[in-house]
Amino acid sequence: MTAWEKLRPYGMVAPSIIIFSMFFIYPIFYMIYLSFYDWNFVSPDKTFVGLQNFKDLLTDEDFRQVLSNTTLYTLMTVALTTGLSLFLALWLNRKGVFHAFVQGAIFSPHIISLVSISLLWSWLMDPEYGLLNWVIGLFGFEKMQWLSHPETSLVSLVIVAVWKGIGYNTLVFIAGLQSIPADIYEAAALDQSKPWTTFRRIILPMLSPTIFFLVIINMIGSFQVFETIAIMTQGGPVNSTNTLVYYIYENGFRFFKIGYASAAGVILLAIVGLLTIVYFRLLSSRVHYR
Amino acid sequence: MKKKIASVTLPVAMSVLLAACGGGNAGNTNNAENAGNAGAANAAETASAAGNAAKTEAGGEKIALKYWYAFGGKIEEAKKELVKRFNESQDRIEIVAEHQGGYEDLHAKVQAAFAAGNAPAITDLEIASTGVFARSGMIQELTELAERDKDKLKLDDFNPGLMGNAYVDEKLYGLPFMRSTPILYKNVTMLKEAGLDPAGPKTWDELEQYSRTLKEKGKVGMTMPADIWYYEGLVAQSGGTMLSEDGKSAAFNSPEGVAPVEFWKKLASEGLIKIPVGDEAGATADKDWSNQLAAFKFGSTAGVSGSLEIAKGNNFEMETSFMPANKSYGVPTGGCQLVITSKLDDAQKEAAWEFVQFMTTAESTIYQHKHVGYLPTRLSALETDELKEHFKQFPQYKVAVDQLEHARPRPMETAYPEVASILKTAIEEAILDSKVTPQDALNEAAEKANKLLSK
Repeated sequence: MTAWEKLRPYGMVAPSIIIFSMFFIYPIFYMIYLSFYDWNFVSPDKTFVGLQNFKDLLTDEDFRQVLSNTTLYTLMTVALTTGLSLFLALWLNRKGVFHAFVQGAIFSPHIISLVSISLLWSWLMDPEYGLLNWVIGLFGFEKMQWLSHPETSLVSLVIVAVWKGIGYNTLVFIAGLQSIPADIYEAAALDQSKPWTTFRRIILPMLSPTIFFLVIINMIGSFQVFETIAIMTQGGPVNSTNTLVYYIYENGFRFFKIGYASAAGVILLAIVGLLTIVYFRLLSSRVHYR
Repeated sequence: MKKKIASVTLPVAMSVLLAACGGGNAGNTNNAENAGNAGAANAAETASAAGNAAKTEAGGEKIALKYWYAFGGKIEEAKKELVKRFNESQDRIEIVAEHQGGYEDLHAKVQAAFAAGNAPAITDLEIASTGVFARSGMIQELTELAERDKDKLKLDDFNPGLMGNAYVDEKLYGLPFMRSTPILYKNVTMLKEAGLDPAGPKTWDELEQYSRTLKEKGKVGMTMPADIWYYEGLVAQSGGTMLSEDGKSAAFNSPEGVAPVEFWKKLASEGLIKIPVGDEAGATADKDWSNQLAAFKFGSTAGVSGSLEIAKGNNFEMETSFMPANKSYGVPTGGCQLVITSKLDDAQKEAAWEFVQFMTTAESTIYQHKHVGYLPTRLSALETDELKEHFKQFPQYKVAVDQLEHARPRPMETAYPEVASILKTAIEEAILDSKVTPQDALNEAAEKANKLLSK
């Protein structure tokens, strides 16, 4: 083996490893390093404070609310998106112009920038001048406050996220459904299996890798929610839509507390990392692979 | 099979972890990267800038400087026009103006750019943030430059009511640029139709009575966001202050600070005024006023030109007046000043200083005042025939100038932006939730604020 042959594989992976290290590995360690300091990112005096940032975070009521907002948002978004798109996929998984049209229509939000979507929905949800309240009014219902009241603001954001995510999820589900071999359905039909039994015993298990994949992807997305919040609510009213990433941004860049924000970033990293491990331990044993 | 799971698991697990940090660091580490990358870029830039400077001395190329500014619309038009005038007035310095969103976006970007060694030479700075920026060494102290050029600059020609936020710890850091106070915008046509005296309301009680009459006509008196800037005004009107004298603790949970929230809550719960919350609250207030659902709005004097156009378009007559008084009149000042970032070389600093002076001359301030509505910052500007004539023709512009007599600076403590955010949350909670009293909400906010302020 020549030297070139020995080195070649390393040379091949080097570009991606370098980019990976520069943009992911180094920042992670820098964030962990920063989380032990009290600093505003520019001032010459950077004070080492040990675990003080973490202590402050865990005793901060707002941070607790931020965590519960994020969790609630994630649970609602993931459950609704996955559930509704599975339902839609079962309905749309057939040929025909109409079904193709519906599929295209619900997929279209996926390709629109989230910033445009946020602005659009801010208008739709405007309590005084919005289209949604006008439609509700036509049916004689009372106007909703949507983003303007702590009780409805988080749910309003979930609606936007579900609307945006449902098309992509449906598409992936349809692909999953179509990869189930037809002979299994035929065998079930020969045994005169009822539709519900077919769904529960064949479709669900055969689809479990897809479901699993989507749940994970949606969870990541929901935990990272930022654009809609930055544009539509800025964490308000009364902190009801303040989520982890926005909280980190707010502390780092509006209040100039980089150390504190980094500590929150470390906690986000830990939570999502832990969830992932739990998921794979619990679910991998139940996910059906052929 | 195992292998397959692993091959799926690994990338997914990694992507989860990475995604988490990717998002988590939006604020932090991305910039660290930038710092690394931009370090080199900046070194190159500085080198070339220095090169330029050298050439200039030899009669060669220009010094190019970045100027970052906030807001669009008329404000942007005025800022761009002034930059254009400056660039045309001489041939040594070229200013490149870049729009950076609202004040908060602008501040965040300046901070990130500064950390990355890539900051603009000159930037707008919202006055309440002068403390944070000055104390962390991001902006250039101007005391010496101002002393050196005092004959040309005429520092005491600036309206003294606007200088409070220009100094941090008795050192000069900025020059008043587009400065404002909040004023009351009135739909006079609506008031006349409701049989109300269009000269009022001059006090909180009158505001309440006016609103009651307007409600009977199916309107509301006012739509307003629970904005801390307005709240500062109402606290001043009640005779209180936001923070203690040394700035180490909150003072807004005193009776004078609670009174405004109680006033708002009472009026809102009776449907006399509307206090929308959330990010669109300010826009909603403007729309309600423009569409003649509300007779009044609070707004920066920066909105005079724009509001006059709206009133004309919607066929109603508009006047402005002082914010109504409680015990007395009182308002905060607002708006931005121009600052120079630190870490410029001498040639760049001089060029930036020349630009800042140009932007704040009497001539410039008259132009921006007439185009937008911001205060004329210089006393000599008020003496000109041009402005005297302008005030005679459009008295709406003059109110903010007269109101300056009752104005006070905004708090500039390092923690104030966060305190304001906490306070806004507390006030919204007190107004929305009938079970929360203003006193309790403000006490809770004061407790949090004290922790931040005492650091």
